[in-house]
Parts: sequence; C-alpha cells; structure tokens
Amino acid sequence: MQSRVIQIAGLAFTFGYAVFIVWIYATEPRTFKEVATRAEVTAGTYQVNEEKFNSALDLFRREQFRAARDEWQRADPAQGDARTQFYIAYSFYREGWGRVYSDQQLFKQGLEAVNRAIALSSASPLFVEDPNLHMHSAAELKAELEQGTERSWSDVNPLKVLRTRK
Amino acid sequence: MTANNRSRNRELVEHVVLPVLFLTVTLLGGLRVVAENGTFIFIAPPLVTLVLAVLLMLLLVRGRLVTLHEWVGHELPPLTNIAHIWLLITLFFASAQSFNSVLPERGLLNWLFSFFFLWTLWNNQFSSLDPRRLLRSLAILFGTAFVLKHMLLASLYSPEGGWLKRIAGTLLQGVSLGTLDASSFAPATGYISFFTLTLYVSGLILLAFAGKDETEPFAHPVIEEYRQLPAADRLAVREVILDDQPEPVARVEREPTPRND
Repeated sequence: MQSRVIQIAGLAFTFGYAVFIVWIYATEPRTFKEVATRAEVTAGTYQVNEEKFNSALDLFRREQFRAARDEWQRADPAQGDARTQFYIAYSFYREGWGRVYSDQQLFKQGLEAVNRAIALSSASPLFVEDPNLHMHSAAELKAELEQGTERSWSDVNPLKVLRTRK
Repeated sequence: MTANNRSRNRELVEHVVLPVLFLTVTLLGGLRVVAENGTFIFIAPPLVTLVLAVLLMLLLVRGRLVTLHEWVGHELPPLTNIAHIWLLITLFFASAQSFNSVLPERGLLNWLFSFFFLWTLWNNQFSSLDPRRLLRSLAILFGTAFVLKHMLLASLYSPEGGWLKRIAGTLLQGVSLGTLDASSFAPATGYISFFTLTLYVSGLILLAFAGKDETEPFAHPVIEEYRQLPAADRLAVREVILDDQPEPVARVEREPTPRND
C-alpha cells in the first residue's frame, strides 16, 4: 500500500515538474522576474501597470515616442496586453512617418507590434477609443503600416507630400 | 523493520529522487547565461543530441545499468511499469540535455564534437561493458567534453581574456576561415553545466543501485547472467561446475631416497 502511495505521489510530482520544464522551454523567459510575469500570464492574473501606461500615454501625446515606448514596455513586460501593443505600434507609425518617405525599420517594428495586438485580441476586433488618434482599429493601423513598407510607383508621385499623418 | 525501511527508501529513490534528478538535468542542460546582460537562454535539445541519447540508452541497457526485464514486464503491477517507463523517459531527456550542455552551440566545433560523441558511443556498442566500467567511461566522456568546451574554448573565445588568448582565438578563427566560431557565454554557464553533469552522473550511479540488492550492486557479469537463469538451469550449471573440479592430487608419499652409505 505504502509503495503504491509513493509511486502515485512520485508520478504526480515529477509529471508536474516536467510540465513546468516544457513551459519554461516554450516561453523562454530571460530573467527570474520574467518567469514570474509569464506565470501570471499563464494563470490569467496578469495586469498591465496602469500608472506606467498612463505616463507613457502622456509622453506619446507630447510626441516623445521612444520614451513612450520604453514606458509601455515596462508597463507590459510580457507583451500580453493588446491595447498596449496597439499603442506601441502606433508610436512606431507616428515616429516613422514622413512626408517624403517613411522609416522602413520603424514601420516593420510597428507591424510586428500590431500583429501581436491582433493576435492577443483574436476573439474580437481590437478597437481603441481615443479621440487623439485618427486610426482606432488595429486592422486600419496594420494596413497603414503595410502600405508604408511596400514599394510602388505611387512613391514617386509628387502629390504624396500633401498627405497627412494619421 | 530495517528491511521495511530499506524497501521504502528504495521506492523513494526509484520513484521520486531519480526522476527529479533527471528532470533537473533536463531543465539545466539547455540553460546558458548571456555574458553581456546576464539574461537566460534556453536551448532546446538539437536533433543530434536525441540521436546521441538513443545510443546512450542502448549502451546503458547493454552495460546492464538499466535492466529492462526487471523494470518493465508482464509480471509487474501496471503502476510499477508506468513509473519505470516514466523514469526511463526522464533518463532519456536527461541524457539528451547532458550532451546539449557540453556541445558547442554552432559552427564546425558543434559538428566535430557531435561526430566524436557518435563515434565513441557507436564503438562502445560493440565492446563488453559492465556497469562499473560503463559509468567510468561515461564520466570520462562527459568530463573531457566539459573541459574542452567550458574551459578551453570558453577561455579562447572569452571577450574578457588577455591579449594572448584573444590573439590565439582570432588566429584559430582565421585559420579555420571562421568555421570554428563559438558562442561566448557568462562564466555562470560553465558552473551550471558542471552542476548538471555532476547531477547526471550521480543519477546514473544511483540508478545502478536502484532495484538491486545494495550488498552487491556491481556483480560480475557471469554471476548476473547466472542469476537470470531458471532454477533448473542454475542447478545444471552448479553440477557442471562441481564436475569440472580438478581431481584431488593424490598425495605421493615422498619416499626417502636410498642412501648410498
């Protein structure tokens, strides 16, 4: 009987440990802090730091995009919040946008962030109610970023300089 | 009471200690620490390490470190079979990650190390091994690879090394046209690897004792094979041995040599 108990307890404990190892290798945390954050995401108790989020939003509105992104990354270290990822993508768009040409590198990073946002809100289309933004949906922002990274004959159109940043 | 404790401890080792030990090796075998910022990188076992682990498992069975017929069989209860199969799975992944821990991550060196491991394990498949010899051979194999990767190569490619080391590293890279490129990690990676390999070898030593009578963990192969025979065959072997005993040499009385007086 005791042997049976030891076997069952051993199997249960070591199986749990194996699941933890698989999870570690799947999520690849880079620090112990990240291990804790990812565990929160898995458990569904993860929340964005609202204080840092608002401070980043303030910087974004003052057009300090890099600082805003930095603050948003601190607010959402697990990159698990769709709204924060949308704002990060938007900051890449605004910083990279140019009347004559757009910064390809920044647009590509923006595209990655907006894809993350879309993936995180796969249940329903992401829509951000912010009067300061001209694009409110992730799909709209993605289309704009994609357009900026593509090369076409319309790039040489001189009337292009008349368009406005969204 | 002592026999009861002995059996309980053996159960604990087999079903808790050994799987935990091997799973810890699995966790740490792929862990590297980046030199620049101290962050972790988890490297999943590459395909070649799985092949090496298969060869090593075969070797462990051939070397009687894992006695399969005692671990898994019709006559054992299903739960015991499941627990033993689970232990074998953890052993397999621990073996793969131990190789992962001592293999260079990329470049020609990765191929060279993999080739030498394959060569050694393949050759060992055809040699006669007993558990003691096998354990010694594995400890030396992993120890040599550890010294080469985490001491020699790490010191050659270390960005913090002296100018002589850096020149040697650059020359080596230049001569090999960049194919000997190796990743440089924080010294903590070497310590983690050392701990991992020590755990793995300790696990193998414990495995040799698990499920066996501790009075004679490493019996002679002939005795081991004799024990596995059916009772009738054992009796026959005993009779043959007794029959083969040399005839007692008749004592020849030493006759006194005649004296020529």
